[in-house]
Amino acid sequence: MLVIKNLAKTYASGVQALRGVSLELSPGVFGLLGPNGSGKTTLMKIVATLLEPDSGTIEMNGADLIARKDRTRRVLGYLPQDFGLYPTLTAWQMLDYFAKLKGIIDKKERHALIDALLDRVNLSSERTRRLSGFSGGMRQRLGIAQALIGEPELIIVDEPTAGLDPEERLRFHNLISEAATENTVVILSSHIVSDVCNLCSRMAIIRQGKILSECTPQQAVDELKGSVWEGTVAREQLSTFKTRFNVISSRTFDGEARVRVISKGQRPTEEFTEATPVLEDYYFDLVNQQN
Amino acid sequence: MRNPLHTPFTAVFTNEVLLNAKRVAPYVLMVLFASNAVLWWGWGPAVERGWATNSEFYIRRNMAAFSIILGLPIFTAVIMGDAIIRDFRLGVDPLIFSKPVGRAAYVLGKFFGNFFVLVCCQSAFAITLFLLQWVPFSKMVVLPVRVVPYFKHFFIIVVISHLVLAAIYFAAGTLTRNAKVVYGLAACFYPVYITVAYLVKDLPASFHVFIDPIGFNLQQKIEPWSRSADFLNHYVSNYSLASYANRAWVIIVSTLLLSIVYSRFRIDPAENKTEHFTMLTLLDVPDRITYTALSHELPIQASPARDRITLPKVTSTRGPAATLFKIFAAIGLEFRLLRAERALVVLVPLAMALSFLSVPFSRIAVEVSYSVTSATNTANMMLLLMAGVIIFYMGEAMHRDRELKIEPVVWSAPVPNSVLLLSKCVAMTLVAFALVLVGGLTTIATQLFRGYTPVDLSAYLIINAIVVVPGIIFMTSFVVALNVLLRNKYLAYVMAIGTGAGLFYLYNFGYNHWLYNPLLYRLWKYGDLTSRTILGYRLYCLAIAAACLVLAHLFFERKSR
Repeated sequence: MLVIKNLAKTYASGVQALRGVSLELSPGVFGLLGPNGSGKTTLMKIVATLLEPDSGTIEMNGADLIARKDRTRRVLGYLPQDFGLYPTLTAWQMLDYFAKLKGIIDKKERHALIDALLDRVNLSSERTRRLSGFSGGMRQRLGIAQALIGEPELIIVDEPTAGLDPEERLRFHNLISEAATENTVVILSSHIVSDVCNLCSRMAIIRQGKILSECTPQQAVDELKGSVWEGTVAREQLSTFKTRFNVISSRTFDGEARVRVISKGQRPTEEFTEATPVLEDYYFDLVNQQN
Repeated sequence: MRNPLHTPFTAVFTNEVLLNAKRVAPYVLMVLFASNAVLWWGWGPAVERGWATNSEFYIRRNMAAFSIILGLPIFTAVIMGDAIIRDFRLGVDPLIFSKPVGRAAYVLGKFFGNFFVLVCCQSAFAITLFLLQWVPFSKMVVLPVRVVPYFKHFFIIVVISHLVLAAIYFAAGTLTRNAKVVYGLAACFYPVYITVAYLVKDLPASFHVFIDPIGFNLQQKIEPWSRSADFLNHYVSNYSLASYANRAWVIIVSTLLLSIVYSRFRIDPAENKTEHFTMLTLLDVPDRITYTALSHELPIQASPARDRITLPKVTSTRGPAATLFKIFAAIGLEFRLLRAERALVVLVPLAMALSFLSVPFSRIAVEVSYSVTSATNTANMMLLLMAGVIIFYMGEAMHRDRELKIEPVVWSAPVPNSVLLLSKCVAMTLVAFALVLVGGLTTIATQLFRGYTPVDLSAYLIINAIVVVPGIIFMTSFVVALNVLLRNKYLAYVMAIGTGAGLFYLYNFGYNHWLYNPLLYRLWKYGDLTSRTILGYRLYCLAIAAACLVLAHLFFERKSR
C-alpha cells in the first residue's frame, strides 16, 4: 500500500505544482489523469525520488520513501515521460547496464532476466541492434523493460503512450497490465482518458496541483448515468445554449452543432436523447465545475 | 519598392544578432580581447623599447599578432560553426522553412549575422587600443592621437582574415550539420598553419605574404630590434602588392565558399538510418482490460496470442561489494561509450605523432641524456594534449546523460552519487593514462630507431610518474568540479580553456609559482624530480585534485544519496 499525505511542492519560479496531495494506492494500476501542467509529472518525480517535496510524506508499506531513497530505488521501476537511451549501445547492453545498476551481480541470473525481458517486449530479434535505429514504440517498450528489472514493488509510468500510434498503444497497454501483479503498485500518469479507462482499477483526477476526485472508472461513469444528453442545435444558438447548459463537447457540421450535455435530472430540450456516459464526460464535467 | 529593413535577410540577420546577444561567449570574448589589448599596451615590448604605443608600426604589429595568437581562429569556430546546425538541433527548421524565406536570405542572413557579432567581439581589441591613447602612463611614448590606422589595419588584417575562416567553418557546419567537424577543423588550424609555414620557409618573402590567409605575414618586413625607436615611431606602413593580392584571394575564396553553401544547402532533415520496426505480439487482450467502443475505437486487428512470459527470479545484492560492482559497470559503460565515439581513432595517432616529434631529429648536446630530453619533451607535449582531451571528453561525459535524457532513469536506480561521478572520472583518467603510455612507447621506439641508445627507462618512469600522472589526475578532477558547479558544458569549456590560457600566459610573462601552477610547467628539472620539494608540490597538486572531487560530490545535482 502506497500512502501519500499532504504533498506540496512550489518551484523556485513561484509555480505551485502540488497543493496538499493525498492518495492511498493499493496494488494494481492506479491512473492519474489530468491536463498538461496539472502537477502529474511533479508528483511522479517526487515518488520516483528525483525531486524533493516542500512538505508531506510518502510511505510504502510503512516505510518512508522520501527519507530512505536508496531503499525506494531498489523497489522502484520508473519510466519517465521523456527519456533517452545511449544510441551507440544495443538493446541488450542497455538492459545489462541497468540490471547491474540494480545490483544484480550474478551473471547467469542477469542474462536470463534480460533475455526474458526482451522476449516479453518482443525485442529479442533486435537484441544486438543499436538503439539509434529503434522506432518510438520500440524505445518505449525497451523503457518499460528496464522499469521491470529487479521485481519492482512500485512502477511509475509517466505519459507512456504519448506519441504512439493506436496499435503500439494497445500493445503497450498489455505490457502495463501484465506488469501489475498482486504485490505491485503501478502508477500510470496520463492526459489520455482512454488509457486510464482501459487499464486502471482506480484513478484520480488532478488539476492545478489538487486532487479533484478519486474513485474507480466505473464509479465515475455510474455517477453520470441518466445525466448525459446528445442532440443538435442551430449553430447560431450554440453560444446561448452553452450559457444555459453544461456542454461537454460540440461538433459543428452543415450549419448545425452536435452537442453533448450534462444535465442532471432534466432533458435540455425535446430533441435531445439520453447518451451512455463515458469517462471523458466525468472528466470534463469535473473540469467545467472547477472553471 | 521593398524596404530593405523588412526583408527576410534582415530578419534572419537581426535574429542571429539577438540570439548571440543572449549567449555568454561573445561577452567573454570581448572581455578577453579588451584585457589583452590592455596587457599589450601597458606591458608589451613598446614600453620597454621606447616604441610609441600608437605608432602605425606598433598598431599593425599588434593587429597581425592578434589575428593569430590568443586562439582567435578557434573562437571564430565557436561563433560561426553552429549557426545553422542550431536551428536543426532545436527543431526550429520546419517553422522557418515553412515561411517565405529564400535560401540565399537564410544562408547569408545566418552568415553575416554571426560574422557581425564576431567582428564586434574582435573590435573590442581595436577599440580598447584606440581609447588607451588618452591614458598613457609614465615612460610610455605616445604620439598625437590617431584614428585611421587602428581601423584600417583592423579591417585589412583581422576582419578579412577571419572572413575566410568564418566561411570555412560556416560551410563545414552547414553542409555536414555536425558541430564536431567544425571543432575538429578549428583544432587542426594551428598544426596545419605551422606545418605549411615550415614547408614554405625557404620560398621568397612575397610568397609567404601571398599565401597567408590569416594575415600574420602582412606585418611590415622590417627588423624592429635593429632599428631605432624614432625610426619605428615615424614609419609609414604601406601594404605591398602581394598583400593586396592576398586579401583579394581571401575575399574571393570566402565568396566561393558561400556560393557552395548556397548551392548545396538543403532544408530537408539529415538523412536518418532506416528504422526497422517490430511489432509487439503479446496476448491480444489481457483479461483485466475491457474496451468500450466509445472510449477508443482502435481500427486494428488483434495479433495472434502468445503465452505470457514469466520473468525469472533474481537476487539484488547490497553493500560495498555491490557498490564496487556498480562502479566497474559504470566505468565499463563509459569505456564503451568513449570507444563508440571513435575519437580515439584520431587521438591515438595524434599522441604517437607528437611523441615521435618530441625526439630530436639530429644529434644535439643534451643536458643529461637523450632519454631525459625525449621523456621531458613527450611529457610536456602529452600534458598539453591531455588538457584538451580532458576538457572536451569530460564535458561530453558529464553532460551526456542529461543531453540524451537518460538522467531520470539512471538517477532513479539504487546507485550512490559517488558511483556516477567516479565512473566518469576514473574512465577519463584511464583513457588519458593509456594515451600517455602509447606516447611514451612511441618515444622509446623512436629513440631506438634513431640510435640514441641506451634507453633509460627510469627517466621515462620518473618523469611520467611525478609530472604527468598527478597532472592528469588534477586536470580531470578540476574539470569534473567545473562541470558540476557550472552545470553547463560550454561554460565549463570556456572557463577551463580561459583559466588554462590565462595561466599559461602569466607563466610565460614570468609570473610562475607552484601555488598556482599545479602542472609544474617550467618549474622542474630532471635532477630535482625526486627532491622533497618537488614531491611536496605533487602532494599539493593531488590535494587540490581531492578537494575538487569533494566539491563535485557535494554539489552534484542529485543531492540525495
